[in-house]
Amino acid sequence: MPDKIYTNIGDNQVGFDTLADHYLINKPLYKLIESTNTGIWERSITTNDAWWSPKFCELLGYNYGEIETNYLFFLNKIVHPNDVEMIYTAFQSHLKNQTPYKIEYRLLTKNQGYRWFEVSGKAWPDHTGQLARMIGAIVDIDAKKHIEINLRRSEFLLRENNKIAHIGGWEMDVETREIFFSKEVNEIFELDSDRIFDLPTAINFFEPGYRELIVEAIDNAIEHCKAYDLELILKTAKDNIIWVRTKGVPVVDEHGHCVTLRGIFQNINDTKIKELDLHNSLNLLSDQNKRLQNFAHIVSHNLRSHTGNLQFMVNLFEEVTAPADQKEVFNNIRSISESLANTIDHLNQIVKIQTEINNEKKELYFKDFFNNSLNAIENNIAETGATVNVDFSACPVVNYVPAYLESIFLNLLTNALKYRHPDRKPQISCKTYLELGHTYLTFADNGLGIDLKKHGDKLFGMYKTFHKNANAKGIGLFITRNQVESLGGTIKVESTVNVGTTFIIKLI
Amino acid sequence: MTIVKSINTVCLVDDDEIYIYGIKKLIELKQLCPNLIEFRNGKDAIDFLINPDNTEELPDVIFLDISMPIMDGWDFMESFSQIKPNLGKKITIYMVSSSINDDDINRAKNISDISDYVVKPITYDKLLELFRLAA
Repeated sequence: MPDKIYTNIGDNQVGFDTLADHYLINKPLYKLIESTNTGIWERSITTNDAWWSPKFCELLGYNYGEIETNYLFFLNKIVHPNDVEMIYTAFQSHLKNQTPYKIEYRLLTKNQGYRWFEVSGKAWPDHTGQLARMIGAIVDIDAKKHIEINLRRSEFLLRENNKIAHIGGWEMDVETREIFFSKEVNEIFELDSDRIFDLPTAINFFEPGYRELIVEAIDNAIEHCKAYDLELILKTAKDNIIWVRTKGVPVVDEHGHCVTLRGIFQNINDTKIKELDLHNSLNLLSDQNKRLQNFAHIVSHNLRSHTGNLQFMVNLFEEVTAPADQKEVFNNIRSISESLANTIDHLNQIVKIQTEINNEKKELYFKDFFNNSLNAIENNIAETGATVNVDFSACPVVNYVPAYLESIFLNLLTNALKYRHPDRKPQISCKTYLELGHTYLTFADNGLGIDLKKHGDKLFGMYKTFHKNANAKGIGLFITRNQVESLGGTIKVESTVNVGTTFIIKLI
Repeated sequence: MTIVKSINTVCLVDDDEIYIYGIKKLIELKQLCPNLIEFRNGKDAIDFLINPDNTEELPDVIFLDISMPIMDGWDFMESFSQIKPNLGKKITIYMVSSSINDDDINRAKNISDISDYVVKPITYDKLLELFRLAA
């Protein structure tokens, strides 16, 4: 037991022995405090004398009197070694700066290892005015502390997960339509500070075309309590365009009304762009595959029809006896041989397209190439009295394979003249423009037109002709389509019978 | 000598001049059938069939090509199924094509008005068999 210490408590200057005597003698006070699960302690600042109340001892699993009443013993044997320094710092600060002394640290219990306690205290002066002793209390906060530690750990893990996954949460109050973003969402949106958004402002971060999607999903979630999961394009506060995935889950009250909408945002830009690239390559491959298959069919069919006729004529040659007949059959054989050569030549042109893909693309001026094509069919133009209007001002240049562009223009021009309307002079109009980063070429005529309902699917097929026209060979548009598609473009046609035809070509 | 007497008129719908020449020559040589009409596309053939002036000359057999300009073999079959009830005569249709594409063969099999699908070149024996079956 420490020596008797005299001190002031509050306004009453009372002389008594140690706090221990006072505490133990004052039964009502003793009972009251012992009932609160609070341990009381006292230590001398000048000596190392200390006292621990019965509840203090009990909280550490000891009987009263079992813990040595020495503060050094307490620091060295009871306090967790890692916490000693913190206790000393808090004590010094309390003495010097009168900061409140309230700290959490681990104490070694008799049977349960270290447990967390909240320790508070206050230093009191003796009759000379010098701070002589400290009185305080301890409370067992082990359970709370463990929850706190776990929570902090989970929070840390969650935050790290979110950081790595570029994912964050959001919540919207359905009534006020105010939206709260988590820290990670702010990072995805590249916002500098936390702020509450109203719904329209938040929606405006999305690119046009995606806004409608998210608005509809949110309306649906609020009205029909339907969750959503969307991939959208977002323009961040710093004007970066990124792909995000967003989920929304309605929180429903007891009346079945959606009161809160919450969900996540995830930056999926890298994977999405890879996915789209992959998708494009796949499309390109499958297009190429389709073209190859188509080509195989064409080869098989076109050659078969000739070899079939050849067999037919050779057999017939054995049947006929009249010299005139034999001559006729032989002439047919000759004509088959010519057709075969022609077909092989056409097939070669198609094979050439595939090999020319690898030819270097160049900056080409539409005007030059168009004029070259016009010059090549000058006579035809003059003969038919055709007028040609061109407008390449919106997009004068394209990065393309020269041989293709020349062939495309030539095919479209000859096509327009070949299928001109008998009642009027051909009017041809050719334009280029840019749309969403793609270069488009339109080519319109006032010719016969074609019934697309009937022939639309065959228009670009090989040896498909639709008009009673002796010049129709059905190879031009087939080649044009192959050239356009081999460079990743598309060709579409709009047409009205007796009015005219317009080709819309996405070059690149 | 006509081997199959009941076949009076055969109709060729095909844009292949050499094939038409061959079939004509074969029919003529073997005297398979006294009358032969020919069209270079499906539309001309349909126009002929629906013309009431031609009721007396309707063919017994049609050899129909697939790939033709203006109206191909498939489109012809569509139109034919519509005009068939008004023809007042049973016409056997053979589809004759150089296509060995399964899609074409199966498509033809699924059209009830087509009696058979024949791959070109057509031999004399096959021609004879088709005439017999149509009779």
